[in-house]
Amino acid sequence: MKKKENESYLSEVISKLTEHKMAMAGLFVLVLEVILVVLLPYILHLNPYDSDYTAFAQAPSKAHILGTDAIGRDILSRLIYGGRTSLLVGLLSTLISCLIGVPLGLIAGYFRGKAEVAIMRVADIFMSFPSIVLILVLVSVLGPSVWSVTIVIGVLGWTQFARLIYANVLSVSEKEYVESARAIGTSNFKIITKYIMPNSFAPILIAITFQMASAILTESSLSFLGMGVQPPGASWGNMLYDAQSITVLSQRLWMWMPPGIALLITVLSINFLGDGIRDALDPKIKV
Amino acid sequence: MKNENQILLQTKELKKYFSGKKGLFNLHPPVVKAVDDINLTIHKGETLGLVGESGCGKSTLGRTILNLIPKTSGQILYEGQDIGDYSKKQMWEMRRKMQIIFQDPYSSLNPRMTVYDLVSAPLEVYGIGSHEERREMVISILQDVGLDKQYLNRFPHEFSGGQRQRIGIARALILNPEFVVCDEAVSALDVSVRAQVLNLMKKMQAKRNLTYLFISHDLSVVRHVSDRVAVMYLGSVVEVAEKKELYGHPIHPYTKALLSAIPIPDANRKRHRIILEGDVPSAYNPPSGCKFHTRCPYATERCSQEIPKLRDVGSGHLVACHLEG
Repeated sequence: MKKKENESYLSEVISKLTEHKMAMAGLFVLVLEVILVVLLPYILHLNPYDSDYTAFAQAPSKAHILGTDAIGRDILSRLIYGGRTSLLVGLLSTLISCLIGVPLGLIAGYFRGKAEVAIMRVADIFMSFPSIVLILVLVSVLGPSVWSVTIVIGVLGWTQFARLIYANVLSVSEKEYVESARAIGTSNFKIITKYIMPNSFAPILIAITFQMASAILTESSLSFLGMGVQPPGASWGNMLYDAQSITVLSQRLWMWMPPGIALLITVLSINFLGDGIRDALDPKIKV
Repeated sequence: MKNENQILLQTKELKKYFSGKKGLFNLHPPVVKAVDDINLTIHKGETLGLVGESGCGKSTLGRTILNLIPKTSGQILYEGQDIGDYSKKQMWEMRRKMQIIFQDPYSSLNPRMTVYDLVSAPLEVYGIGSHEERREMVISILQDVGLDKQYLNRFPHEFSGGQRQRIGIARALILNPEFVVCDEAVSALDVSVRAQVLNLMKKMQAKRNLTYLFISHDLSVVRHVSDRVAVMYLGSVVEVAEKKELYGHPIHPYTKALLSAIPIPDANRKRHRIILEGDVPSAYNPPSGCKFHTRCPYATERCSQEIPKLRDVGSGHLVACHLEG
């Protein structure tokens, strides 16, 4: 039933999205990436944690296609496992932000009054902290790990969603169809779920993509600074940690190029996809 | 069908003021008196036309009567009960009896719902009928308003303005209400469709014994549908009378000026236009006394000081003017 409601609108959006070349390229890369990081460990024999004592900091070779790092771990294996971590952190933390921010934004925008003041002012306070410093402090309090990084990035990201959906709900609430729903005695809960949500969700979809890209970057920055995923666990960020050494940066390109390029491609793909979704959702833009 | 004596709805000194938020930097927020001390009576089965220029508070009055926006003070008596004081639960029950048809058929239908979902929404809210029964009811009311059941799964954007307004009418009438506020219900439609929708509304009124409060800025439309007509100016009702009486013998200078603006479809007849001086005063700061005195060609000293009361000048013709006595 729920699906049927949006059928024609959705199919229109999807057809516009499929015509958006960059978005489709981005989606293709992302899907490929997900398939690779999920399936490759089952197909190839990858060992991201153990050192190969015969090959420290070795350039790409037959035994290690992408070479090894300073303590002899296979870069390809770490790249794949690091991808799992990075994508997981991006996805989960965005989900957390969304789950906190969307309901709060809906409440603030729909009920106005005290709820609005309380929620939006708290959001302002959250946004007035320099986020990377706040994240660093919180992570060091919680102890750096994949989960603490995910939770901290997720919880601090709620303001984006809350503000976005709040602004949208403000305008949607003024629409006559919301008033007409009220005139037939529809409950507030139903008005929010059936009238407001479907009509203000488009920008959320876009925000999800951009938030995901930025979460992946934040995780990498944290890991690069040594505050994120801890070794021996792999993430693209902590693989880049090695590049803090000038010798590695200038002479051992194979150590930091793969995670760097992977990050770049992932974030670019997500952003392209976000752009595509934005264009597809905007009825005024013909692709 | 018409029963002159049975009063369905009555407003007593109804007021709706909008004020800016009072705050640290805004100690005396401006107040707009959108609905200012209005006494209106609506009889069972009649159509009361409500005319006035844009911004005079017509729509606000309609929404206040339906309790869609809370009143500031006064009473809204529906069959003698003050619905303004109803609890949430009582009001919810009440909404079955009073409905509204909106002006803009493009924004009054949720774009993400099908015709079936839109029209059956009121039934769902009140838990009426099983799934099959609802379907039957929706199909039958769509037939009544002239829409085929093949449209059930279509979305609003696939329809023309007239068809959308028919959907809006079907939704408003499916609960069998007694009283319907038509808020500029045909103003957004083009002329050819307007007549069809008006006739549909009249047909439905006869069939279902509805009482209409018909809000419009269009004097010809109001003349076509109304039994009685009320004229509003800056939040106040200045004149109420039977349609023939009001259009034939307007008394209030504002009504006279309004009526003189109706075009006559006859090139040979000269019409005598009364051109009002100046603009409508700001609703933030309405004139003292009779609100019309700043533009009234006959205004006297008294008009600027004393607020005229709505008085009966014979056979139910009510006027709020000092000059008539």
